[in-house]
Amino acid sequence: MKKNKLLLLSGAFAALASAPAMAEDLVIGLATAQTGGLAPYDQPNLAGLQMRIEEINAAGGIAGKFPIQTIIKDTRSDSAQTALVAQELVDAGAQLIITPCDADPSIAAGMITQGAGIPAISFCATTPTLPLAVGDYMFSNYPADNVQAAMLAAHAVESGYKTAYILTSPDSAYTLKLPQYFGQAFTAKGGALAGEGTYSMGQQDFGAEVTKIAAMDPRPDVIMTSAYEPDFPAFVRQLRGAGVTTPILGSDGIDSPTTFGLGDLVEGVVFSTAGHATAGSPLEAFNARWTERTGAAPDTIYIANGYDLGTIIEAAVTAADSLDPAAIRDGIANLEGLQGVTGAITFKGTIGMPLRAVSLVRIKAGERELVAQGQPDPADIPAP
Amino acid sequence: MDIFLQQLLNALSLGGTYALLALGLAVVFSIIGLINFAHGELMTVTGYAICFALIWGLPFPLAVMAGLAVAVVAALLMERIAFRPVRGASGTTLLLTSFAVSAILRVLFQNLISARPIPVSIPASLSGVLTIGPLHLGMIQLISIIVTLVMLLGLNLFLHRTMAGRAMRAAAEDFAVLRLMGLRANSVVATAFAISGLLAGVAGLLWVAQRGSVDPLMGALPVLKAFIAAIIGGLGSLSGAVAGGFLLGFIEVILQAYLPESLLPYRDAFAILLVIAVLLFRPQGLLARKTPVKL
Amino acid sequence: MPDEPLLSIEGLTVSYGAVEAVRGIDLTVKRGEVVTLLGANGAGKSSTLNALVGLAPRKARRMLFEGADIAGQATETIVRRGMTLVPEGRRVFSSLTVEENLMLGGARHAARGDPAAVKADMLERFPILAERLHQKAGSLSGGEQQMLAIARALMSSPDLLLLDEPSLGLAPQVVDRIFDLIRNLRDRGLTILLVEQNVAQSLEIADRGYVLANGRIELQGAAADLRASPEIQDAYLGA
Repeated sequence: MKKNKLLLLSGAFAALASAPAMAEDLVIGLATAQTGGLAPYDQPNLAGLQMRIEEINAAGGIAGKFPIQTIIKDTRSDSAQTALVAQELVDAGAQLIITPCDADPSIAAGMITQGAGIPAISFCATTPTLPLAVGDYMFSNYPADNVQAAMLAAHAVESGYKTAYILTSPDSAYTLKLPQYFGQAFTAKGGALAGEGTYSMGQQDFGAEVTKIAAMDPRPDVIMTSAYEPDFPAFVRQLRGAGVTTPILGSDGIDSPTTFGLGDLVEGVVFSTAGHATAGSPLEAFNARWTERTGAAPDTIYIANGYDLGTIIEAAVTAADSLDPAAIRDGIANLEGLQGVTGAITFKGTIGMPLRAVSLVRIKAGERELVAQGQPDPADIPAP
Repeated sequence: MDIFLQQLLNALSLGGTYALLALGLAVVFSIIGLINFAHGELMTVTGYAICFALIWGLPFPLAVMAGLAVAVVAALLMERIAFRPVRGASGTTLLLTSFAVSAILRVLFQNLISARPIPVSIPASLSGVLTIGPLHLGMIQLISIIVTLVMLLGLNLFLHRTMAGRAMRAAAEDFAVLRLMGLRANSVVATAFAISGLLAGVAGLLWVAQRGSVDPLMGALPVLKAFIAAIIGGLGSLSGAVAGGFLLGFIEVILQAYLPESLLPYRDAFAILLVIAVLLFRPQGLLARKTPVKL
Repeated sequence: MPDEPLLSIEGLTVSYGAVEAVRGIDLTVKRGEVVTLLGANGAGKSSTLNALVGLAPRKARRMLFEGADIAGQATETIVRRGMTLVPEGRRVFSSLTVEENLMLGGARHAARGDPAAVKADMLERFPILAERLHQKAGSLSGGEQQMLAIARALMSSPDLLLLDEPSLGLAPQVVDRIFDLIRNLRDRGLTILLVEQNVAQSLEIADRGYVLANGRIELQGAAADLRASPEIQDAYLGA
């Protein structure tokens, strides 16, 4: 019985890797996570990308002549497995590789693709040093940590906060570096750091940390953290439980239904995210189309983000007018002001981390309220 | 002093959850020598059951009941389907089987339910704060402590006042002789799994109440902590598991509270070091069982 | 069926992997008999008893207890049918109290008699246990633990009691008390299959005996005949 289930599952994955490629097909290899810790990020991105690919293929392929074939292999959220899968995809003739939503496996895969001269794009790795670690064939498809941090710092200063406490976790680059970038940007603009606390991811216990914050005299004006589920809900519950009402700034990791389900606990929390559907915006239109297609409203921005990746690929191949990987790489690197559903996307002039709009959203009575949208002043962005 | 008292309360609340988890592992280990790494998935199952019961429109208390019932049933099914066929096999076989059960369940959750966390709406009344003089106690923290004490007391009564409980204690000592009393091995093992399912369900409830969501990998970390706590206490000893759970919670909170800031990132390393130190002096754990497991 | 033996075994083999501990023995015990199994260490005596109650891997052409086939049955089922074993080394539940040990002994046997009455009877017969009722079994002396182990087995009101080395490791005067007890059980009509190293005392108590060597039956017969046989005299009784 157990064996049958396993066979069924592996059969389902094998079926995703579709028929052999035609001569003029663009072959995209997906070395991304169907299972494991990165699946929550990779799966919605993949779903969005697949929607865009279907649209492109329905219109006769990119520029009417390059239909897209995908080969999808599960990395199980494991870096070594990601490198292995990337090699298999390169061997299978992929002209473009998509890597998971995290810098570590993306670097592992990038070591293979860089050597093979094939461009690789991470679904949503946010670590700004990712392309530096791999090379000029590595890109990401998401606003970088330091860009989000700069937006949040600008907001903090505008809100009149003088002192900030940052809560970091050394367990991931995202949870460690983003608050530290925030600290750099905030102090550069005249703010002061009141302290830095740490936590272990997944631990869910903030009792000791919260007791320390509650005992601070004076209390900081604002607390900034990149903690996300399950840590963020546990933190905010325990912080408010200890009677600390200090405002909280968060980052895109908490843009999830869970956060909005926390009610009064998160009232007034401001966080950065990759997109906000204002009335009449492309994102609103996309959300409607997605809802129509699947019967459920998108529960995360990662779906639209994956969809935009399809648009990036389309634009890059159109510009290259060829399926030569080097030409595709140049096509990506020269994109400028490409209109995606989440906003304008620019790779030109960057090292591979795109300039994309960041939205700041305030939670008000369980709803989103847009605080700011756009890109920070490049001078305010902390160096990676 | 107030801060120290507050940290003690924090330690009590965290340690209590660890104690419930470790106890769940120890109950099964004491009877059949299996460290059930799928114990964490029983927590996850509880979370999903509560979540879907709420979506289905059940009031919160009923949803909690449903969650606990599902945890017990899931534990019994696990025993029947996966562990009974390998009962009496070597410890390694049992361990690998439990890893397999855990991995299969995670993949099923990810592919049949959702890879993304699903929110569970915890009633606002559980977000309240109790203030006693200078001390603040979150409702959930308070409930954790109370529920832990009730569970420990209840389990103690069960083990000492009922025939099934006596049979479990006897089985932990000498399973073969228990069968000579005419008691069915299968029902004793099933009772152990049912209890461990209930303990996992309660711990899962407390865990989900803190985080407000369920995700497929939710059980991974707690089961690891439970394993450490059970090792500290002496594998297979029930009172040892409780002591180990509280000690681990205490160590973690005190380190978090009093380590200098520059060393805080290494807190878990220090915690494990202290655990190793305990084991150096008591290699069998704090309250080791005397007899080896045999079937 | 007065002539039908209580227990009738043909071709019993016990093997642990490649090691054959018992090699095809035949064995019968009639109702009301005391039968003893004798033999050197490793002859296969304990393996035979364990196999009878399903605690050792066994094969047999025929295994009948009270006329029913018990060959493939689980230990607990066999015990519920009325055959139980007091294992070697006593194996009382040492962290449970004396009373709890007795309760577990009678846990599944309400159908075979009134457990409360059996317990009262037991405490009358073993006054030392009545004194220590709430003490942990592990705190009893070796002799007291053996009493408890036997009393615990009797709580199930068995039709056939298997005793595995009840006198092992006990002081001489305690050994005498254990044999007094077995004699007393015999006089009350209980059927007993006894494995013992104390050959002289067990042949004195028994009606019949088997002598095992290397997993096979070497000798069998009435206890008095065995006692008189030169092999037994040489090997065990040191005459």
